[in-house]
Amino acid sequence: MINLIRAEWRKVITVKLGWGMLLGALALAALGVVAQIASNGNGANGNFLPPLSAAETQRSIAASSGSAYLFSVVVGIILITTEFRHFTSRPTFLIEPRRGLVVVAKLLVAALVGIIYGVACAALTAAIMAIWFAALGVNIGWVSNGILLSMLGDTAVIAIFAVVGIGVGVLVRNQIAAIIGTLVYLFVLEPLTDIIPLVQKAYPYLPGAAAAAVTGANRGSLAHLNAVQGGLVLLGYGLLFAVGGWLFTIRRDIP
Amino acid sequence: MSPEATALEGRIVANDLTKVFGEVKAVDGLSFSVEPGSVTGFLGPNGAGKTTTLRMILGLATPTSGTGTISGLTYAHLPHPGRTVGAVLEATSFHPGRSARNHLRVFCAAAGLPDKRADEVLEWVGLTQAARYSVRGFSLGMRQRLGLATALLGNPRVLLLDEPANGLDPEGIAWLRGLLRHFADVDGRTVLISSHVLSEVEQTVDRVVIIARGRLLYEGRLADLEGANGGVVVRTPSPEQLSGALAPLNVKVTPRADGSLGVVGATPEAVGHAAWAAHVELHELRAGSSSLEETFLRLTAEPSAPTEPGA
Repeated sequence: MINLIRAEWRKVITVKLGWGMLLGALALAALGVVAQIASNGNGANGNFLPPLSAAETQRSIAASSGSAYLFSVVVGIILITTEFRHFTSRPTFLIEPRRGLVVVAKLLVAALVGIIYGVACAALTAAIMAIWFAALGVNIGWVSNGILLSMLGDTAVIAIFAVVGIGVGVLVRNQIAAIIGTLVYLFVLEPLTDIIPLVQKAYPYLPGAAAAAVTGANRGSLAHLNAVQGGLVLLGYGLLFAVGGWLFTIRRDIP
Repeated sequence: MSPEATALEGRIVANDLTKVFGEVKAVDGLSFSVEPGSVTGFLGPNGAGKTTTLRMILGLATPTSGTGTISGLTYAHLPHPGRTVGAVLEATSFHPGRSARNHLRVFCAAAGLPDKRADEVLEWVGLTQAARYSVRGFSLGMRQRLGLATALLGNPRVLLLDEPANGLDPEGIAWLRGLLRHFADVDGRTVLISSHVLSEVEQTVDRVVIIARGRLLYEGRLADLEGANGGVVVRTPSPEQLSGALAPLNVKVTPRADGSLGVVGATPEAVGHAAWAAHVELHELRAGSSSLEETFLRLTAEPSAPTEPGA
């Protein structure tokens, strides 16, 4: 198993994709931080936002690092679908015919990649905040305002989304279809459920809502799970997809 | 087939392999064996079912029925498949953005091999110079070499190569021939190479397995295939008498489609002499223009008449 994990890890670091996506995630996090601090008038006239010293403002700015989940889910999808796209699935499954083990190694490596994305984005976010707030003379309550805890939650969500990405990719071998389907779901379909009364009861258990439960970015007045439940529900989706993919695609003939 | 024979170390056995895709029988009750210490050509026209057969033996595709085994075990049951079997399947299997060396190091890790093995096999296949370039810029010949390098990583006892000569220049083909002969003759490994062109592998292989439309047409030594030794074509009004006259020469006599006889294992002179001595009238006597390639084409040609029903 350790051999397979090393092999999967090498697959990630030897192509540009993983690094490029990390840069994208960092850029998006930085953009979020900068935009929020810059647009906050810090209590100036005509600005209705709470000042930078407010705990909720600080948490909201820190949550910028959480946007990296978009990149980690796509990386997870690509890590597995690229095997079928470029037929590296052949040497991979020739060297390890126990295909389930390969999928497990991929899930673990994807989680590791997600953690690295999460930590990197959190570190960048924290660094920008620390420098900018110091320049403005505003104190940051890293612990008292729950910022470190929320960053931890964000990192967990980013890591779990990478696992979900593997699950989706195992189930839907077609790379483009898997990526577009996932993004359309997260950005279009799931937000729609807010306005459909029938599915509102199920809403807390949907992937996006479960993620929001962990990061604290709760949407509207809808009920949410608590952070741990949300994390487990999200992880459950990843594993469910992976098992489904194992049943329906991976066990079948490898192209 | 006795269990002992099946379990021979390094032997590849296809036992009644069948693969059905929808309505199409891609492989149809195919049985053959490939022996260690020989290079066997796996021949057939495009679409004959060669790749599907190899994929079933390699565990990438599940047979509809029948089994494919290596050393008596199905692929999934081999203890260290990465170090027992090396295989290259048609169409190259590389991430275009990964360098040749990194590609090999990924699979070194997966198979639990030391990383220096990657550099060793790169040198074997002559890709040391290109090792750090991404595969995107590789020619087909270079990809074939990298595929072979991947197959050789685990120093396998059994090699299965699908169309390995595709894209190689004549020099590359000669190099490949030398490498494969060495594996079989010196190391006693099992080498199975597929091709849709007999002439491409004619000088490399000892034995051939010829298939078409998923079925076995010929299995055996290449030398025994009609046309291999410049067979003789002879036409006579009394074929039975001629066969009798040729019997002492220990030759193989087969009726040909045009009514003449094909004789394998004797020169035209010997056949002519035997006929003259036995007073058999001949209307035609010539060295077999039926070269191996013609034999191959004739064997694998689409049947002009409908095949036998219920087969």
